[in-house]
Amino acid sequence: MTHDPPPALRVQGLTLRYGSVRALDELYFDVAPGEVVALVGPSGCGKTSLLRCLTWLQQPTGGLIEIAGAPLGQERLPSGAIRRQSRRHIDRLRHRIGLVFQSLNLWPHLTARENVELPQRVVLGRSRTDARVRADAILDRLRVLELAEKVPGQLSGGQKQRVAIARALAMDPALMLFDEPTSSLDAELIQEVLSVLRGLAESGTTMLVVTHEIGFARHVAHRLLFMDQGRIVADGPPAQVIDHDPHPRVREFFDTVLAFRA
Amino acid sequence: MTLDPWVVLDNWPLFLEGAWLTVRIAAAAFVGGLILGTVIAALHSTPVALVRWLVVVYLAVMRGVPFIIILFLVHFGLPFLGLRVPALATGVIALTLFASAYYAEVIRATALALPRGQWESARAIGMSPWEAARYVIGPQILAPAIPPITNYTMTMIKESSVLSAITVGELTYQGLIVQGNTFAPFEVFFAVAGIYWIITAGFARAARLLENRQRGAVPEGITGQGIAARYLSLEAARR
Amino acid sequence: MTFKPDFFLASLGDVLPAALINLQLALLAFLLAVAGGTALTLVRALKIRPVNWVIGVVISFIRGTPLMIQIFLFFYALPAAGIDLGPMTAGVLAIAFNSAVFITEIQRGSLAAIDPGQIEAAIALGLGSRPIWGRVVLPQLFRRILPMLVSEATVVIKGTALLSIITVVEMMRVAQRVGSANFSPFEPMVAAALGFLAINLVLSAAAQRLERRYASQRA
Repeated sequence: MTHDPPPALRVQGLTLRYGSVRALDELYFDVAPGEVVALVGPSGCGKTSLLRCLTWLQQPTGGLIEIAGAPLGQERLPSGAIRRQSRRHIDRLRHRIGLVFQSLNLWPHLTARENVELPQRVVLGRSRTDARVRADAILDRLRVLELAEKVPGQLSGGQKQRVAIARALAMDPALMLFDEPTSSLDAELIQEVLSVLRGLAESGTTMLVVTHEIGFARHVAHRLLFMDQGRIVADGPPAQVIDHDPHPRVREFFDTVLAFRA
Repeated sequence: MTLDPWVVLDNWPLFLEGAWLTVRIAAAAFVGGLILGTVIAALHSTPVALVRWLVVVYLAVMRGVPFIIILFLVHFGLPFLGLRVPALATGVIALTLFASAYYAEVIRATALALPRGQWESARAIGMSPWEAARYVIGPQILAPAIPPITNYTMTMIKESSVLSAITVGELTYQGLIVQGNTFAPFEVFFAVAGIYWIITAGFARAARLLENRQRGAVPEGITGQGIAARYLSLEAARR
Repeated sequence: MTFKPDFFLASLGDVLPAALINLQLALLAFLLAVAGGTALTLVRALKIRPVNWVIGVVISFIRGTPLMIQIFLFFYALPAAGIDLGPMTAGVLAIAFNSAVFITEIQRGSLAAIDPGQIEAAIALGLGSRPIWGRVVLPQLFRRILPMLVSEATVVIKGTALLSIITVVEMMRVAQRVGSANFSPFEPMVAAALGFLAINLVLSAAAQRLERRYASQRA
């Protein structure tokens, strides 16, 4: 036994089947605290399914998930048997993972600040004052504090993105998940959001980012996971995987993307 | 308490007579209301400000005043105009006025949504105004108008029960007569309610059949049946 | 016969004060209807098959039958079953029950329009189903259905006039009394019509202002 802190995320044998289709096929990987992992792969490779399983929005067919040492969804009993956790138990653990949805899913009837305050108060039981102080600190850090009184309908795409990040970050998660954070944005906003993510990375936030931005993967991520057909087919330092990984699917993907850019 | 089904069964001719009258009253108010409603909808967009103002007042009164009061206003008001009409005619007139206000709103909204380019293209291709209305415009505006017309007609059928208050011998009135003779309110009013339920449900069913027949005129979304969807699924399969 | 303006003005003074009764009855019925309709919506969301089947039949029955018959059922039929409510209670309950059904149907329609992603976001953040309903779904739902709730309130107010038939002394009944006491039924009936019209015009004007305020406040 070691005294190292447990990994922020540990995935063991995670599998998701729809009938005979394996959306996720026995995935094994860890994410260390402070690590920034880019998750790359062609459309339909299972990236979104993985994020949905990690937050238990989708119940996986098999496998175990641990968030900072705490099992989520299912746990292995000392006897070796696997036990499904209660819904309440799962609800209590979910805030340890901050998911930023591709469609953001802010609550349209609440202001930006209220969006950030509500889950802190309801889930973490923070007082109104504490939740507000925390919300304002994070909104300020993401440079959207002056928009705190606006509702999502009054915000631009990039501003909404930051509020959605703030909402997840305010829960002090062990791990942040991003589902294609730049996919719905205009070109100039992409750089803006990427710089926000770079800032988070530099401050030591643990992140798993599904992305098509090769530049982000290469320059900000510490590690790149490449998924294809529900499997992780490459795992290593980003530059290494992007430029040299021999797997044919990986080569095909990056050669196309890089050729397109050049 | 015991339920006595014979109260209902013994008096079936009265219930039947009442139900039949209710159906005929509703049918008359439906036809009359659609005609009057069309006229009112047309008057609503005349250039004469006074007429428009009168239409607005008419619609506000018909929608803001309880039907029972409209009924009594017609009942007590027709003699002012020197007209002595039987209760049944009074009831049908009041119900027609009531329905016309709701129908007028639907007809107006539908007409405002009338696709101008469709009309012009039909005319440009050589159709007469009648042909354009019959084959191009009509089918497009009819389908969306059916659900709200159905809704308001069901409301109107139900409101016709108020005609019992001026002794029109429709279903509710007959129910009150039977209730007075038998003192079995539970059986009687449930039977009356059941008959109304059959009438309104039957009407809704008929309207839905008509709506389904018109469905072909509704424009296809990109995800609906058709070539766009087949291309999309082809794309998805290739991934 | 001629319209007598003096008598009309005099009957206004008799009839209009009774509008307070209609307003009180309508307010009570409407509050009960909103509570009951929302409760029905929550129960239906549990998706318990037999329960939803029963609720579905009740909804269809209430929507398919006249309010007047429903009022008769509460006023005449419940006493036969040993439950004797006075005309006011029976009337308010009948209207509330009727309106609750229409409100739950309105809510169901708008519920489908709420983006499921928002609820997923709430789940992912660890909110349980109670705060999801209370803080995320219902506040949006009520904002969305506000215009339809106002027109339902109009229906409720108009419904109180039917209670005259079961002897509740409200505006319509007062108008009938004044009319028969003076052998001139028309003028007081016009007064009652104006009373209802005024209430409903004020209501819809207020609703429009409220909506505009929402629109400008939270675009």
